[in-house]
Amino acid sequence: MNFNRRTFLKGIALTTAGSLLPGCEREVHRLVPYLLPDDEIVPGVANWYASVCRECDAGCGIIVRVMEGRAKKIEGNPSHPLNGGKLCARGQAGLQNLYNPDRLRSPLRREGPRGEGRFTAITWEEGMSLWVKHLRDNRKHVAMISAPISGTLAEVVAGFLERIAGRLLLYDPSGQAAVSRANRHTFGLDHLPFYDLANADYLLSFGAPFLEHWLSPVFFGRAFGHFRQGRPGVRGRFIQVEPRLSLTAASADRWIPVRPGTEGLVALGIALVMLREGWTRGDIHRRKLVPWLNAYRVEDIAAASDVAQDDLTTMAREFSHAAAPLAIGGGMASAHTNGSRTLAAINALNLLAGNLDKPGGLRVAEPPAFPTTTASPPSATERDLVELAAQFKAGRYTVLQLYRSNPLFTVPASTGIRTMFEQAPFIVSFSSFLDESTAMADLILPDHSPLESWGDSPQIGLIPEQAVGLAQPVVDPLYDTRSVGDVFLHAAHQLDEHGDHALPGVEFVDLLRSNWKTFLGKGATADGSEAAWVRALQAGGSWTTPAKRASFPRQDLGPPYRSAGFAGDANEYPFYFYPFPSLSLSRGEGANLPWLQELPDTLTTAVWGSWVELNPATADRLGLKSGELVRVTSPHGHVEAPLVVSPGIRPDLVAVPMGQGHDVYGRYAARRGVNPVAILAPMFDEDSGVLAAAATRVRIEGTGKPGKLVLMEQIQDGRDAELLTIRKIRKA
Amino acid sequence: MSPRVKGVLIVLATAGLACLFGFLYSTGSSDLRSQDIQPLDFSHEMHAGHLKIECMFCHRHAAESTTAGIPTVSLCMGCHQSIEPATPDMGRLAGYWRDQKPIEWVRLQRLPDFVYFTHAMHLKAGLQCGDCHGRVATMRQTPRAPSFEMGWCLSCHSQRGASRDCWTCHK
Repeated sequence: MNFNRRTFLKGIALTTAGSLLPGCEREVHRLVPYLLPDDEIVPGVANWYASVCRECDAGCGIIVRVMEGRAKKIEGNPSHPLNGGKLCARGQAGLQNLYNPDRLRSPLRREGPRGEGRFTAITWEEGMSLWVKHLRDNRKHVAMISAPISGTLAEVVAGFLERIAGRLLLYDPSGQAAVSRANRHTFGLDHLPFYDLANADYLLSFGAPFLEHWLSPVFFGRAFGHFRQGRPGVRGRFIQVEPRLSLTAASADRWIPVRPGTEGLVALGIALVMLREGWTRGDIHRRKLVPWLNAYRVEDIAAASDVAQDDLTTMAREFSHAAAPLAIGGGMASAHTNGSRTLAAINALNLLAGNLDKPGGLRVAEPPAFPTTTASPPSATERDLVELAAQFKAGRYTVLQLYRSNPLFTVPASTGIRTMFEQAPFIVSFSSFLDESTAMADLILPDHSPLESWGDSPQIGLIPEQAVGLAQPVVDPLYDTRSVGDVFLHAAHQLDEHGDHALPGVEFVDLLRSNWKTFLGKGATADGSEAAWVRALQAGGSWTTPAKRASFPRQDLGPPYRSAGFAGDANEYPFYFYPFPSLSLSRGEGANLPWLQELPDTLTTAVWGSWVELNPATADRLGLKSGELVRVTSPHGHVEAPLVVSPGIRPDLVAVPMGQGHDVYGRYAARRGVNPVAILAPMFDEDSGVLAAAATRVRIEGTGKPGKLVLMEQIQDGRDAELLTIRKIRKA
Repeated sequence: MSPRVKGVLIVLATAGLACLFGFLYSTGSSDLRSQDIQPLDFSHEMHAGHLKIECMFCHRHAAESTTAGIPTVSLCMGCHQSIEPATPDMGRLAGYWRDQKPIEWVRLQRLPDFVYFTHAMHLKAGLQCGDCHGRVATMRQTPRAPSFEMGWCLSCHSQRGASRDCWTCHK
């Protein structure tokens, strides 16, 4: 641009005119009093209501600051045993779910072809009668995919589907089903154990991102603080075994960059050394383990996993000689075709160390006796959804119901999941936002925001206390939405032609209260009175420490280890693909909240976008530069994103964070970044059916174009540091 | 037009613009007292002076909150529904109630958002409403109170031996 004197003067004139504009505005401050006084509201004085966070499935207790009927701030509930007053970024951002400008504000009916995203607003009466009509015509042919729900809501929804002989799939995209599967094999537990990290003094973690998003990062964050600094003279030692340096690995004393898919093999290697050196405790496991491990030699394991024999020996020695050792596994370590077996091998380490039922080890967490009459089904996995898609294709099911679940985003397209959404004769969604799956719906009956609705959350496993969180509405509903519990109860009432009231025609809150009355009226401190209910409301739930702790029903090894399989030819696709859940956006659920979008990724400082992470040695070899737009190609498609060169990754790995790449899902999420799940192969954990997200191979090439990625700081690209190479990993 | 005249005109125009600009900003750009026109012609002289209604009867949150609170329309109507409308504004008040609409009063007393102030604490310290808000009971129309500037706050704080720590008000 030619910047001459004339342009300069024009610029000055425009700036002056612009700065005068505020003078034209007549800014008047108004004071608008209430029409009628509200006894509970004192203007200027905050009310704090206790509730339960529902941003993830952990169920932390929260307290919400409400002023003049508006929720202003969410904090952790100091008395809740899971989070003890702490709360993560996702919980804090829950406010933006309430006030989100993209929330669905009334029932909607599809206009035009499916998937085009055109909807018209209808009344609740129209919406309900349309849905009930389809239910009436399609009894026994209804399938519902829901996020994990528990407590009274699970009772209502599961009971409803049972009555119409439908199928309920509680789909949890975090892959926790693999952890449950392994625990059922090893310990006979149907729920999570209590990982007593706070009292351990040596932690061996295989890929479990427990400081980021695994199970309950808030619970583990608190425990980790105690593990490191909470005891005078004791500082727990922590080793993280995983292919990419996550935030959790960055907090470890040592990071072992293992070859993807061989985490279980490393656990077996450590077990072999422990057996060879006689460092095991508990003879029974020794006898059982010997035939289990017969096929393996430490040298082979070291070669296959790129973990040096010396390191295996060191870990075995430290682990077995620690006063309170603990081995945990999860995250991407279980996102392989051998996921559950990897976790079973890690569980075997705990058996060998004899840390079950001991402080600092694995302990049984007895779930509370919360009275729900219908049992919810176990977690469904990606493989279950693919099977469901086949059943839709075969005409077994005709009505698909969706609740807070977005399979079109979290299940790879290569599985053919899309056919279910294209072929299902009728799709109804209860989601609050127009995500990819809800955009395919014929009818949307939007739920309240969690801060507007009742609910309860029995804590199944993870903590020693028996806790049930109680969620209450902290503000009046902002829009013409209805709580999904009420919607199901009303539909049940309308379907109830014969008048046999299996589900009473009451409001959801009445059912919840009666469950609580029964629950509070039982046990050692039985008090089913109104006062006890009010106390539970004030406290945000009810929790007790059981007098006697149960022991593990079983201590066994489960099925023997099997090596991981990968999709893609190793010559054509030389790199392992490693899509990892983002700390803030998780698997995409948080992408519509600007607070989470602007939260920098801890290791790369990237905000509002996707990137491809590559080792500096590999980038040099391929002639790729940081910031360049690169293309990652798998046998099932490709994604393009800017390159971030980072020393914290194996040279044979290409990592892309999950969470971005939405087509829809509101103004903050749509058309931003890429979704690595889209190019994954249809690979599953053989035992549990969880998506094997780390089992796809890729190749990477430059596009010659510059990428657009905002980094809050220029990160150290590792060129000055000593580079990590495969040869060095092997030599170490 | 000679270049000299042109030059003088440009200088004058610029100076005029600068004066206007400075004036608007010095008066808080738009925060002018001429805008202090209330939707209803409410008289503190009548209510607090003549009828001797206690301040706290209407501003009932002053003792328990940061803000004193503005009476709800239902509170106004508590008395006014049994009073014959003697003025057009009394009729308009009844209209608000009939339409179930809140009255949008113009805010007269304001503090910048970097000042932490609470009514409750000042009443607890024994201050009377009039100490800061003036003798509103004698005022037909309520003007803005003395400008709540820091020196004014501090003079009272030092006279009464209240805290003069920065953090007391700026937190």
